This record gives sequence, structure tokens and C-alpha cells, in this order.
Amino acid sequence: MWTVFKLQWLRLFKQPVLMVTFLGLTLLFVYFLAGAQGTQTISVPTYSEELTSEELNEWIDRLNEEETFLFVESDYETVYDNIRMNETAFALGLTQENYEFLIGREDMEISTLIQYVDQIFVTEMRLQGVETDFGLTGLEVTEFIEIETRSHAAAVSSGDRYRLGIVVGMSLYFSVFSILFLMINLVEEKQTGTWNRLIFSPLTKTKIYLGQLTHYLLAGMIQIGLAFLILRVLVGIDLGTNYLEMGVIIFSFVFAIVSLGMLLMGIVNTPQQLQVVIPIVTTSMAMLGGAFWPLEVVTNRLLLFLGDLMPIKYGMEAMVDTIVHDHTLSQLIVPLSALILMGILFMGVGINLMERVSDN
Amino acid sequence: MLETKDLTKVFKKTTAVNQVNIYLEKGESVGLLGPNGAGKSTTISMISTLLPPTSGEVRFNGEDALKHSQRLRKVMGVVPQEIALYEELSAYENMRFFGKVYGLRGKELETRVQDVLELIGLTDRKKDAINTYSGGMKRRINIGVTLLHEPEILIMDEPTVGIDPQSRNYILDMIRTLNREKDITVLYTSHYMEEVEKLCDRVYIMDHGEIIASGTNEELKSILSNEETIQIHVHTLSPAFRDTLSKHGSVRKVTEEGQGYKVIAPKGEDLLGEVFELAKQTKTKITGVAIQTPTLEDVFLHLTGRTLRD
Ligand SMILES: Nc1ncnc2c1ncn2[C@@H]1O[C@H](COP(=O)(O)OP(=O)(O)OP(=O)(O)O)[C@@H](O)[C@H]1O
Ligand SMILES: [Mg+2]
Repeated sequence: MWTVFKLQWLRLFKQPVLMVTFLGLTLLFVYFLAGAQGTQTISVPTYSEELTSEELNEWIDRLNEEETFLFVESDYETVYDNIRMNETAFALGLTQENYEFLIGREDMEISTLIQYVDQIFVTEMRLQGVETDFGLTGLEVTEFIEIETRSHAAAVSSGDRYRLGIVVGMSLYFSVFSILFLMINLVEEKQTGTWNRLIFSPLTKTKIYLGQLTHYLLAGMIQIGLAFLILRVLVGIDLGTNYLEMGVIIFSFVFAIVSLGMLLMGIVNTPQQLQVVIPIVTTSMAMLGGAFWPLEVVTNRLLLFLGDLMPIKYGMEAMVDTIVHDHTLSQLIVPLSALILMGILFMGVGINLMERVSDN
Repeated sequence: MLETKDLTKVFKKTTAVNQVNIYLEKGESVGLLGPNGAGKSTTISMISTLLPPTSGEVRFNGEDALKHSQRLRKVMGVVPQEIALYEELSAYENMRFFGKVYGLRGKELETRVQDVLELIGLTDRKKDAINTYSGGMKRRINIGVTLLHEPEILIMDEPTVGIDPQSRNYILDMIRTLNREKDITVLYTSHYMEEVEKLCDRVYIMDHGEIIASGTNEELKSILSNEETIQIHVHTLSPAFRDTLSKHGSVRKVTEEGQGYKVIAPKGEDLLGEVFELAKQTKTKITGVAIQTPTLEDVFLHLTGRTLRD
């Protein structure tokens, strides 16, 4: 078994183009779809009809102290027009003692924005109250009690979740591609006859399959691991520190995909056909499973149901939950067992079909 | 040591192999001769435990070879009809891999690999990827990989197909040496009768999934011992001449061959005079006549009415 396993690595190192290409594509897509957006702050047009331009600027400086959003000075007419023309999604209006939002369309960021502005306003209003009551100036807030927020859930905006979904979804999408394409090797071996050479050798069929499958499993895990590592180190995407959980999820996911590969090869058994079928299967799985857009935007019952059958959905769900909500293995039991069960089912059916084909 | 009993394989509709009985004694070199689609590869797949037969069995030393496949697999080397190698890897890497598959390790593996590379004459190209090899070299390494574990039985499926005569002779000499000097039992499949005639002690002739004749070269040829082959070369082919020839009472068979006709007729009949007479009648100019002793090719022609390479 290890002989077969090692041989497959040797072959992979001789022709690494496929794996490297897909790794490159992952990084490229994630960088443009999510990474680039991640570093770009969202600008919020801010106007006031009551405050002087100086007062308004003071507020804007205060609001810009944290880098979550970029507040930019504007005036009511411009903002109003822009919102009507659908060029801006929302704007912040300030009055003497209060604030208002002009909202043109629903946007992921709004709830976070409201939360953020509210928090600053409350603090500032308190300070001003104290200042006028006691006649003091230049007060600053000292935090008496440092509360470390452990519940990330509230602190993470739906936008972040969405972006993370894309990072994870894209990485998984491309890894599925490269695992399945790599697995075409197995069918090619059956065609060139090296598979038969192994069958009539003293090696048992089980060992040959195991050698091959562990290779694909490990190659897939390394691919995803590497993609995440690079995204984290070079692009700076926060992927959490739950290494054990992530490892287990990656393993279960790749296992399901390798099994899916076996199923496909049981049904379609020439490399040429597989080269057509794999992109179709992979892409529709990614679409249905929510790797390209959040499943929240899907309303069609049938599509949602189909999505529930896609391994990529569970892989993404589990990863995002681990990264964002620090879910532990026991909390991940549902997606993980879904993946493992799918894996066992696909593998069983796949190997059976394959053996039947070669026996006929 | 290895034999088949009524070996049969049916694919959906075609019966590829039908009730085949063949046997191999230790040290023998046996040929399996037949045209394309005769069922040679299918027979070999079943003997080498690759393909389960529809019915019948393969026996190795008296035991069911499919039930105890490991015993046979360890001592058997099979050379597939196609180049079954990892073409992006070098000859050396391929050999090390398949050597390990047969349980060779360390020093022993290394010596075997070097020895076989020497034997197949590829030592200086061992580091090159197979896909840079010529057809003849690929054929040689395809065989070499099978020799690593020093098999007792060597089963070869058309190992010389599609290569130049020089490479072919090299391979045939190599197999003959292995058979004679190392006492390796050989089952050799081909549709080149010259190869089989040269290499094998005994021959099975197969057609449409069935063994239609078997025996030593001489035995097979003696099927035709009462007949002779007359090769007639003519200036221009003449259907009329051919017609009258085949209607002649003592002519068994007439086939067109090159610039002339091949006539099989019983020995001893003085046909030649009549042939010239018939030529005159049909205004055919004869440029040459030769009387040949029969070849396996003729045996096949006699048995099936077709040539091996039809
Ligand atoms: N896997 C298969 N499925 C269906 N039919 C098959 C299969 N393999 C072989 N056959 C059929 O069985 C018959 C015998 O084929 P086989 O390959 O054994 O012939 P062969 O004597 O080796 O011919 P060649 O000289 O061309 O190699 C052919 O008619 C072929 O079409
Ligand atoms: Mg064949």
C-alpha cells in the first residue's frame, strides 16, 4: 500500500502543474473577491443641516478614530440624490443631539454601522453631559473594567461572515477541482494498463485502492491547508486558531470529495468524459452549496434542498462556524457526520460500480 | 503446471473465448497464434487472474488458480499488450516501483534493476522518462519490468507488436535465452507466425474464440503434409485464370497474393503442366512458379480460409 502511495507522490512531484495551478487560482480569486474587499473600508457619507462645518468635522474625526468605516463629509442634497440614484447605499445625518440614517437599500453592513455609531454617540453624549454638568473640559474615558469580549458572534458583522464564506467557499471549490482532476490518474491507470499490472501482482486490490485513496486524501488536505496558510500569512485573512477543529473538518471534507470522485469514476470511466463531467459537477455543487453566494439569498425550496446534499455546504458551514464562533468538535457534529456519511456512501457505491464495470 | 479447463468468457453478446483448453509444462515455450479479435488477450487475462471467466477454470499445479491467486501471482510475470508503464517516470523509477510491488527491497532490488536494465539494453537511458523513448525501447522496458522478480512463468501478449525487425529480433532472442537458459516457462501470443514458429515448442491456433488446432510446428504442418503450395506469379492478374484454376478438380484453394496466386493442392498430382495449359487458355502470362513447403500461415489459411492478418 505504501509503495503505491509513495509512487503517486513521485508522479505528482514530476507533474505538479495541476495542483499548483489550482492553488494559484484559489489565491487569485480569494484575493480579488474577498481579500481586496477586506482591506478596503466602507465609506459613509456624513452630512448635517444643523451643525457647523467645524462641528461636523469634529464628529467625523471622532467617528474615524476606529478604522471600521470611513466617514466622509457631504451635504444633504448630494447624499439624497446619490441614494435616489442608487449610488450610495446609506448615509449618516447628524443633528445637535441625535443622528439619523438615510438608507437606500438593504446592505450587509448596515447593522454593524448602526451599532458602531450608536456606541460612539452614547459615549460622547455622556461625556458632554458630564462636561456641562460639572463645567469641565477635555474629559477622557478611562475604562475601569476591561471586559474581554469572548462572544465573537456579536462582534462579527454579517459582512465579515459573507466575506469569510467566500474565502472558504473559493478555497474549497478549487480544492475540489484539483482533487477530482488529480483522481483522473486512477482512470488513466486503468486505461494504460498499469492498474492491471498491479492487479496481477501479489498486491491485493484493497491495498492498491488504499494506497491511491490515501494519496488523494492527503494531497487534498495539503492543498486546502496550504491555501489557508498562504491566505493567512500573505493576504492577512483571519482564519482563527482552532487548528484541531479545522484539521478535522478539512479531513472530513476531503474524504467526502475523494469518495465523490470514486462515485463519478464508477459512473463515467474515461478520462475524456471525466474532464467534462468534473467541472460541471464541481461548479454546480459550489453554486448549490453556497460557495459563490450566501444561501440566505436563495428562496427556491428545491435549490435549498439540493444544497443540503452538497458536501461543500457542510464544509463551509463547519469552517465558518469554527473560525467565527469558535465552535468545538462536539458542536460541529452535524456537518462533520454529514460529510463522513456522504463519504462512506459515495465510496461504497463508487467502488461497487467501478468493480462491476471492470468485471463485465 | 498451468492449464485451463473449458475456459469461456462471454461479454454481453460476444463469446470472446469459447471452451479453451490449453496447458503449459515447466520449461516449455508455447505459442498462442491467432488473428485480431481471436480472443488471445481475453484468454491471457483470465489465465493471469485479471478477468474472472464466465465458466471453466484455470489450474495452477492442480489448484484452482482463481481461489489461490496469490500463489500464481508471485511466480508469474505478465507482459501486457499495451505499454503499461508510468510514462512520465523514468525506466529506473518504474522498475524500482514494480520491483517493490513484488516485494523486492534494498540491495536485492537495486541489483535486479541493474541486471534487467543490462539485459534489455537500456542502462544508459535509464534516467529518461519513458515518454521520450522510441517504440522499440518502450517495448523492451515493458518486458523488463515483468522480469524483475524472476518469474517462473512468463506470459506475453504480443510483445513485439508494431516495432522494427531489429528490435523484434532483439526481443525474440532475449525471450529464447530466458526460456532455454533460465528454464522459464513461456506463453507467447502473437499474430506473426514467423515469431511463433521460431520461438515456440508448441503452438495453439486460435480463431473466433476457439482453439482450432494445436501441436508442435511439425505436427501442425503435417496437417498439410499431403498438400503443397504452388506460388504462381503472373504478369497481370486475371480473374478468368483464377476462376478456371479454382474450378480444377484437384485444386483445394486459390488465393490472390501480391502479383499472383497461391494454390493449395494435394501432393503428387502433376498440376504444373495443367497450370500452364490453363494460363494459355485464359491468355495469362506466367512470370514465375514456385513450389513451397507449408508454413503455419498456410496451416491457418487451410483451417480457416483466411490469412492471419486479414
Ligand atoms: N471488455 C470487453 N468488453 C466487450 N468485448 C470485449 C472486451 N474485451 C474484448 N472483447 C471482445 O472479445 C473479442 C476478443 O478480443 P481479444 O482482445 O481477446 O482479441 P485478441 O486475440 O487479443 O486480438 P488482438 O490481436 O487484436 O489483440 C473481440 O471481439 C473483442 O471485441
Ligand atoms: Mg490482444
